[in-house]
Amino acid sequence: ALCSRLSSMRAASSCTNGQTGCHFLSLANLFDRVIQHSARMHGISNDLHSEFELYFLPSKNQIGRVSRNCHTSTILTPNGKENAQRIAREELTEVILKLLVAWREPLWHFHQNMAQHREFNNFSSNKSLEMSEMVHELRRGVQKVVEKMQMLGVINSSLGNLGSPEALLASDRAEWRLMNDYDLLYCFRRDSNKIQNYLKILKCRIIPEHGC
Amino acid sequence: MKKVGEVVLLWLLILFIHNAAGEGYSPPGKPTNISCRSPEKETFTCWWKPGSDGGLPTTYALYYRKEGSQRVFECPDYKTAGKNSCFFSKNVTFVWVNYNITVVATNSRGRAFSDPVDIDVVYIVKPNPPEEVVVNVTEDKDWPFLQVSWKPPKMADTRSGWITLFYEVRLKLENKNKWEVVSAGQRKTLQIYSLRSGGTYEVQVRCKPDHGFWSEWSPSSRVKVPEYFPQERSMWILIVVFAAFILIIFIRMVYMNFHSVKRYLLPPVPGPKIKGIDKQFLKSGKSEDIFSSLVVSDFPPTTSNYEDFLVQYLEVYVPEERELIMNEGKDLQDDSFKTENSTCDNDSGRGSCDSHTLLTDKGGGDKEDGQQSDQEGSQAEADTKSQEEALEEELLACSHENLQSSNVSNEKEKVKSWPSLFSPLPQYSFSPVNRPNPPKTGKQHCLSDSLFTPNSMPSYFTQPGPSTTKGFRSNYWECSFDHKQSHPLHPQSAAHEHLQAQNDLNTAHVDYMGAPLDVHVLNVRPSEYVEVQRVSVEDGVLLHPVSPSQEDSRTLSHQTEDYSRVRVVNNDNGLLLLQRDAIEEEKSMCPYQEDVVSRASITPTLQNSATGINIALPILDEMAASGYIDTAIMFGLPTH
Repeated sequence: ALCSRLSSMRAASSCTNGQTGCHFLSLANLFDRVIQHSARMHGISNDLHSEFELYFLPSKNQIGRVSRNCHTSTILTPNGKENAQRIAREELTEVILKLLVAWREPLWHFHQNMAQHREFNNFSSNKSLEMSEMVHELRRGVQKVVEKMQMLGVINSSLGNLGSPEALLASDRAEWRLMNDYDLLYCFRRDSNKIQNYLKILKCRIIPEHGC
Repeated sequence: MKKVGEVVLLWLLILFIHNAAGEGYSPPGKPTNISCRSPEKETFTCWWKPGSDGGLPTTYALYYRKEGSQRVFECPDYKTAGKNSCFFSKNVTFVWVNYNITVVATNSRGRAFSDPVDIDVVYIVKPNPPEEVVVNVTEDKDWPFLQVSWKPPKMADTRSGWITLFYEVRLKLENKNKWEVVSAGQRKTLQIYSLRSGGTYEVQVRCKPDHGFWSEWSPSSRVKVPEYFPQERSMWILIVVFAAFILIIFIRMVYMNFHSVKRYLLPPVPGPKIKGIDKQFLKSGKSEDIFSSLVVSDFPPTTSNYEDFLVQYLEVYVPEERELIMNEGKDLQDDSFKTENSTCDNDSGRGSCDSHTLLTDKGGGDKEDGQQSDQEGSQAEADTKSQEEALEEELLACSHENLQSSNVSNEKEKVKSWPSLFSPLPQYSFSPVNRPNPPKTGKQHCLSDSLFTPNSMPSYFTQPGPSTTKGFRSNYWECSFDHKQSHPLHPQSAAHEHLQAQNDLNTAHVDYMGAPLDVHVLNVRPSEYVEVQRVSVEDGVLLHPVSPSQEDSRTLSHQTEDYSRVRVVNNDNGLLLLQRDAIEEEKSMCPYQEDVVSRASITPTLQNSATGINIALPILDEMAASGYIDTAIMFGLPTH
């Protein structure tokens, strides 16, 4: 998916100057690819969560099941449509990137843990690996989209911190280590959904005429 | 009184208590089956199933807690969604927030808490059914199809990308029970083909968010498909006709190829084909007939072809003809070999006899025979020619010529000439030595030779020295014909045999034919036959005149018994002619007619009184008796 995105990036750059339609079309394509990628990522996380719930936690819907908050709870994210539409594009984009950055390392460690556990079958192990990789690729893709948008002037370049998203999470670096695997899956499942939804909203706000 | 009052009060109190506690007055049961749904991911509603109420009015309350907070909230709206429900409006709905919901049933007796339920709005989205479902029947090239279109439910905001919906369409015939489901993705239109003409369809549409529940099916939209029978029917007719056509072609090809394949697999056995052989005849005929059919056929040419052959023969005079004759004779020889042993029978045609010798000449037969055949052939050829040209000349010449070579060759030639020349004739007729017959004579001559046994033949052909023979020759007809052939006159015996074997005509022929033609057996025509007996080496050949009684001086061929030796005695009496036996003498029709007398010494014993007569007299007498006297010749014997 990354290769396709990169190729689309190149295609986007192939547009000659002054052809806004071509650029927007290429931006729309970029968004579509990114959205598809995020959808796939969320699907994998959903599958993993269901499997984990089935094997490791027979009792469901326990009060206080989530013993701890997700480490990404510190990231303010719109939790409603109005909030999501009300927020600025740049903030929305920033939130997306923050989320993607925040989950790269925890998922990698999660995958390492799952590979060691005998209970997990190969299928789940492959999914955890794929999931961790997709987070990384999706982040790069979103960064490309942001650059495209900034080039098009869709969003202003006030987001200087996007270059180093890791700085945003410096304080939150170690929190995820306190979470158990189930909580990780739970939290990531939700966050991947947020990412996908935010990307859709962002696209339909910027390019409403293409599939919205 | 007071006691009665207390009893009644106690009784009333007991009744009251009983009523209060006896009829299901219990705490309410626990509510169950809490389910929440959100139609647009902006609000959601929870329903629960109340338990037993315990006989008392029970109130239900829903309490919820959001994650990360211990604050308990109660349902803001119990009415909007109906009974035993709680509606969460947008203000209180937070997406991606975990709600912990608990329903509490309360009655006067107690409370009941339901099991808590965790929900997240994102995963409980169940949209409303698609709206404005429109189904049209579109006529496109006489093939109608359904055009279905719809709109997303109003509540779901898909334009902002807040919700992404996926659609499904299903349809069925009105009177059937099976639905056909077609996925439409995120599109809002769909075309459906392969419709049954004249059928009525029901179409329904539903939708689902990317992570959520399917909506209910939209209300059915009915549509009737017009009938388009003709096109379908005509298409099937065309297909059937085409298939039938192909089938016919296929059958025809199989049928056509069947024969060729059959011929290839079972090739017809070629029947035997032998020229001149009738297969049916062989199957049905008798053995004799079969053999005869095998044998006769066209070889040797026996019947009416001889004259033609004769003619042909006569014409060709050069040795080349010999080859022809030899070729012709070859087949004859084969046949003759088969049918006759080396002997020539009366029954067998001359041709066969000749062919026999020819055969031997040709193939691996006796060399002698071969040589004979060659020579004979040549001579025969020569004879034929000569005969045609001029008899008389030949007659004269023959005495000189012909005496030559070996017996074998003469025989051969004769033999060769025979078959081609002669057709077997039952009788021999005296025929003067006429021109017309020269060819025949030649043939006859040859045939006669062939008739002789091999033993006789050689003797027959032994030829005296040319000088002697010549002398003799002059008297004889035979010379004329056989001038090239050195047929000894000796064949007198042979001639006799011939004559004897045959009828008298043969003899006549013998005499008749100047050339030493053998008296042919049956095959030769009497007129044609001239039996000329040549003089063998020492002796002259006597031609016997017609009457066997006549006795002519004969020159003896050492080979023939019958011939009397001729001793030429020069005395006053003239020639001394040994008496000879009854010999069949060839008559020569030569005008000169030197008979035996000329050749052989005339014995004085001859009937004619020789006394007082000079030498010639007895001879002459004799000759006169025979009718052939040629004094000149007689005296000229030695000259020959």
